[in-house]
Amino acid sequence: MVILLVAALAIPALTGTALIVSGRAMRPSAEGNANTLSLVASVATAALVIATVIARPVLDQSWLPSLGIRLHFAVDGIGAPLLILTAALSVAVVVNARSRPPHGGSPATFYGCLQLVELGALATFYARDAIIFYVSFEIVLIPMWVLISRYGDSHDLAARADASGRFVLYTVLGSTLMLIGILALVQASGTANLDALAAAHGAGLARHTQIIIAALLLVGMGIKIPIFPLHTWLPPAHTIAPTAGSVMLAAVLLKMGTYGVVRLVIAPLPIGFGALAPAFGILGVVGIIWGGLACLVENDLKRLIAYSSVAHMGFVVLGLSSGTTVGLQAALFANIAHGVVSALLFFLVGGLKERWGSADLATARAALREASPRLGFALVVGFAASLGLPGLVGFWGEFLAMYSAWNPAPDRPHLLMHVLVVVAVLGAGLAAGYSLRVLRLIWSGERTTPAHEDARGGEWSVLAVLVCTVLVLGVAPGLVLNSTAKDVAAITAEVSR
Amino acid sequence: MSQAVVSVNAGMLLPVLAPAVGAAIVLVTDVVVQHLRRTHYLIALVSLMVGAAATVGGLGLGRVAGEARRTLCLPGGGQCMYVADPVTSTLQLAALLTAALTLLLSWPDDKRESPGGTAVIVSLVLAATAGATAVAGARDLGTWLVAIELATLPTVALVALRGARSAISGAVALLTASLVSFGLLALAAALWYTATGSGFLNPAAALAIVADPARRPILVLAVVVAIAGIGFKLSLVPFHAWTPEAYDGAPLPIAAFLAGVSKIAALAALLVVIRAISPLGAPPLTAIAIVSAVTMTLGNVMALRQGGVVRLLAWSTVAQAGWVVLPLAAVSSAAVSASGAYLLAYVLATLLAFAVIAALVQVRGSARARDLAEYRGLLRDHPVLASALALALLSLAGLPPGILGLVAKVAALRPVVDSQLWLLAVVAAVNAVLGVAVYLRWLLAVISTGEVTSTPGASPKATLGSANPVPDGAAPVAAHPVRAHPATLVAVGFTAVALVLTSLSPQILVGMLGS
Repeated sequence: MVILLVAALAIPALTGTALIVSGRAMRPSAEGNANTLSLVASVATAALVIATVIARPVLDQSWLPSLGIRLHFAVDGIGAPLLILTAALSVAVVVNARSRPPHGGSPATFYGCLQLVELGALATFYARDAIIFYVSFEIVLIPMWVLISRYGDSHDLAARADASGRFVLYTVLGSTLMLIGILALVQASGTANLDALAAAHGAGLARHTQIIIAALLLVGMGIKIPIFPLHTWLPPAHTIAPTAGSVMLAAVLLKMGTYGVVRLVIAPLPIGFGALAPAFGILGVVGIIWGGLACLVENDLKRLIAYSSVAHMGFVVLGLSSGTTVGLQAALFANIAHGVVSALLFFLVGGLKERWGSADLATARAALREASPRLGFALVVGFAASLGLPGLVGFWGEFLAMYSAWNPAPDRPHLLMHVLVVVAVLGAGLAAGYSLRVLRLIWSGERTTPAHEDARGGEWSVLAVLVCTVLVLGVAPGLVLNSTAKDVAAITAEVSR
Repeated sequence: MSQAVVSVNAGMLLPVLAPAVGAAIVLVTDVVVQHLRRTHYLIALVSLMVGAAATVGGLGLGRVAGEARRTLCLPGGGQCMYVADPVTSTLQLAALLTAALTLLLSWPDDKRESPGGTAVIVSLVLAATAGATAVAGARDLGTWLVAIELATLPTVALVALRGARSAISGAVALLTASLVSFGLLALAAALWYTATGSGFLNPAAALAIVADPARRPILVLAVVVAIAGIGFKLSLVPFHAWTPEAYDGAPLPIAAFLAGVSKIAALAALLVVIRAISPLGAPPLTAIAIVSAVTMTLGNVMALRQGGVVRLLAWSTVAQAGWVVLPLAAVSSAAVSASGAYLLAYVLATLLAFAVIAALVQVRGSARARDLAEYRGLLRDHPVLASALALALLSLAGLPPGILGLVAKVAALRPVVDSQLWLLAVVAAVNAVLGVAVYLRWLLAVISTGEVTSTPGASPKATLGSANPVPDGAAPVAAHPVRAHPATLVAVGFTAVALVLTSLSPQILVGMLGS
């Protein structure tokens, strides 16, 4: 069964490399070939990922014995939903690109980079060795940088260079700090095996050691999530990135940060995280308010959704900081929910930006309700889910996060957590405000000019599947919650005692 | 009589003797038969390969760490003046292969006239390489000092040979630095002898001061002065100023030699001292920590401002030198291996970058190949060379797919974190970001589409059409040859393959160091 896991990583690795290396041989006319090849590869990878989620194989192979690094990959309940999300969205971006092909360079390189991003994300969620986790974390960086700097919005080249540079530099700072934290954690606890680290629950590590290591890791991964003062790379990156890049960035790459917090901080360093959790929670809630306020006045639609990501990840952070089983469950669910909703919205907005030529909300345009009912419907569902309407996927993560923060672990400051919940509720109100503002500006109304085409073909099928996922997970959140329940309980067993 | 003489095992000394003998043969051949050009290079390559083959037995390959090979030992099982353990052998192998690659880059062709004649260039390269391999194995003060100078002085001549104004000024900067450095190293040797009463640079000598703590400060001073002296060779701040001058003034292959063999020689010299004192259980060397932090910061900041690629690589060498000595702030055997591993990763990636520039010099002319702005659109015009360059830059930046650089970064940070030098670790993290900015600035030019076009479909076709109008074998008479010399392409291919293989399995390289 190990072969499934190896193949799930090898296919995107080989396809991505082959596409990039042969990029010159494939003339522009061969765009369809590159798309078809990467579609086949993504679908095969997705099938293999689902097979590994069912079969749960383990690969444990010596790689760099001198430094004690092992190629150790496995699947558990926490990683499984993220693996499926990654694989499914990798198929979705390729399908969407059939209708909306990339601009700015060789299509083979574009698809190759997408494959490598998928490889890095899958490897991150499979990794069971702390150093391999870091290596996988870094794999996504350069392909995403190429996607933004070469295939991004070319209206303002200086802004594009700035956005891609900012993305890569912030992320490298974060991941290098994370590496220092990982090395310290590995040195202090004597193992790089994530399962062993989680099982130890920080036994034998002094409180101050735990706090130092947890602080390094939280700052490092806080850049990726992103947490409030470290988020400034995100809006420009999203604004400039091509649709596929935005989708992978919001729906997959940000999740690597929160996932890392669960794996590398909350599980192995419960005391250190407990000491920093209040500050972590405060920053999360500030992010909710900050993102919400920015969305109320932002006039660039892509940037607006980027800011709403900051707000949504604030709820994830709030859930994580509660220290309870429900809180972790909420955070992991909100992770998936944001992955689905932000993917839906970025597909929509990316498509709209190409139709409109810009994503400026101040320009008068044809109302989506009139001009393109399919896009309009998807937009309504997306923003309704984004504002946390019950019955849609966005509701459960945010509701449970606030619930868990209201009843936090015994060692958390209860009064502070209550205040945070109250403020977070205000943030949810802001979300309703900005969602309705966007709908009023671009969905409602009677204008029918300038006309634009509605979603068809690949674009529409991707949107339809995502809308269905929003509805299904909204009605049956247990599909994800049951998957994560057992492993989350194992992590919090020690903490909540 | 015989018991008074040290034992000599010529086989073990082959990594040193082979290039030295090769240099002599080249000079003799030149006297006997004149106007040979390729023959000199062939002799040199053979001697370097013989030396490289002789190091293999000492590498830490396989499960068992290679046994240290000792010779020139004092009678009665005493101390040895030459010890080649896995770290030493690996550095020797790296120096010999690097020298061979720089020779490939400067391979003579019929059109180019080598200033000074090939015999001189080749014998100087071989002599400097012999110095580098000798210093790695040296365990006594005399050999250590002489070998360092043997590794340095020929490079001054190599830089100066081109005769251009910039070459002379670069050579003068290098010479001045070497002389100051030699003064410091001689002082360090004298202090070492005063402190330990021994002419050997080994733990046994250093442990002698345990009996007399009053001599400890002298030993510390000896080490600090030695670090300062070697700092010149390694381009550590504040002894770095010669680096951009010399790199920019020297012919390109010689700049690669300075960035490769000279750095290996310098680190080898430093490691001899560090390993001698490591059993003393020294506290972290604050001096190295500060020098490392300042060096990498200044190197990166200056590299960010360069408009020429050779100068950029020179400043990047300064920054990388900071990373090379970073683990040595924690004195331990793991730190020595980490430092060696980082150096090897840096040398391999830098050599690939230099090899690509050398190929571009032949294809596009020197002015274009040395100007960063001219790299715009390289991926479109020369996809293979551009891909190799991208791999080299990403390895230097320490980002996948340059996994070797990433692993080197992990290895270098590890001893620092183990010693809980948090501040230094955070400075290193910030420098990792600066380094990425340096190399991605270059890479951004390489992958960009060339001129600013608003119609992506039209311009690539036009260029494709104009780039390949001439069939093979019918190259037009141009100001410079259109194709790169095969020897240069061999060098590019060899380093690129080595970088890919060691990225897939870094154990190949890290394991040689026997850690």
